[in-house]
Amino acid sequence: MTLPIELLIALVVWGTFVGVDLVSLPQMMIARPLVAGAVAGAILGDIPTGLKLGVVFELLQYDILPVGAVRYPEYGPATVAAVATAHASTGVLGLGLGGLVGLATGLLGGVTINVLRRVNSRIVHAASAQLESGDPGALVRLHVGGLLRDALRAALVTIVGLVLAWLARPLGGVLSPRGAILLAVAIVGTALAAGAAGTLRLVGRGPNLAWFAAGLGGGIVATIWLR
Amino acid sequence: MAPVKRPLARALLRLFAVQGSYNYERMLGVGVGVAEEPLLRDLDDGKYRPAVARGAQFFNAHPYLVGLAVGAAARAEHDGASPDQVERLREALCGPLGSLGDRLIWAGWLPFLSGLTMAAIALGVGWTAVAVFLVVYNIGHVALRWWALKAGWTHGTRVSIALHHPVLQKAGALLGPAMALSVGAALPLTTAYLSAPFPPWARVGLAIVAALSFLALRLRGDRVNGLRLSLGLAAVALVVGLIWP
Repeated sequence: MTLPIELLIALVVWGTFVGVDLVSLPQMMIARPLVAGAVAGAILGDIPTGLKLGVVFELLQYDILPVGAVRYPEYGPATVAAVATAHASTGVLGLGLGGLVGLATGLLGGVTINVLRRVNSRIVHAASAQLESGDPGALVRLHVGGLLRDALRAALVTIVGLVLAWLARPLGGVLSPRGAILLAVAIVGTALAAGAAGTLRLVGRGPNLAWFAAGLGGGIVATIWLR
Repeated sequence: MAPVKRPLARALLRLFAVQGSYNYERMLGVGVGVAEEPLLRDLDDGKYRPAVARGAQFFNAHPYLVGLAVGAAARAEHDGASPDQVERLREALCGPLGSLGDRLIWAGWLPFLSGLTMAAIALGVGWTAVAVFLVVYNIGHVALRWWALKAGWTHGTRVSIALHHPVLQKAGALLGPAMALSVGAALPLTTAYLSAPFPPWARVGLAIVAALSFLALRLRGDRVNGLRLSLGLAAVALVVGLIWP
């Protein structure tokens, strides 16, 4: 992956926005892989690749229900890195390598979210006396500090993701065509499974299961009809 | 009481960043305190700081519905509720706001629209589908945040009335089936979309990998998650791909 510096900066800025949107501000769902991927694709002038990787990571996102303090991977900046990787390769190879880089970045993003929350906990604990005194200035400073740390975290995750994309470049030269397909099959297959399993967890065994089956049936009919 | 439109607008803006200092000690507490603060500014000097301190105590709920607690607690402070009453109100709201928001948004509105968007992309609609997703999702998102804050401010300690609003009940009943239908329909369409560039042997492989992974996630969901499984299989595929000519 060799990209002009202005595109790399645009990707880092976009990845930072995406990373901050996940939890901190404003949760308008630009952190969803579908959106993160489409815009990353648009930045690179390759929207189809952005949409394809966006769909792969959106399916993986179904594996997660972000309730309470649950720990989860971060697929927003991961999708940006995945699209940057895939853009440099062609076809199935891009899908596989992009997916691999995105998964590694998603894992890293999840770890950093947990670390950030621990750091925030320590800082909040240290500021307990000020908080108990009801000092509004201290309260706002503490909160803005958390926001800035999250922005820094998101930027770092995106940068590491783009470095991984660059490091993955030689793999494209050594993987055989069959090997590239195999890698893409592994990633797309598990993403589809994660999407189906995650949805079934949401659906449960109640009446919604019949709606899910109806949708599945309709989707299968539409797929066959459109072939 | 002074006109509240401007403080409410400030509180709403701050609510968009309510999770900015998310931590394991007070969870959303600091963000809730920051969002509530503009609504407390016209309290007497002796009441303002203790009310701000109470606002920043431990709190956890769905971020889109936190406004209900922010408005209700601020209103209760203005109405002269005792510190114990305000704290009990906040404690009582954590669970219901969390479960209602999770059901309505994380398990309803979001996957419903995400499923429709994936299906639309698979059918060739392209980036327009993503733009429509963002706009429609956020109409619901912003409306819910604004309604929650206003309802909390209106009802104060009797905020449970707002939680039984018929629109919320109806939305909860409709979004579950709608989500199941849309994601169900999206799955086969996205399978065809993603497997389009694969040769026939790879499509058979894809079906096998997807089926076995699905079983692993359903049967061993406590140990395996999508990320670990995907990374593990990708690593195996990479090694095989490097040695298979």
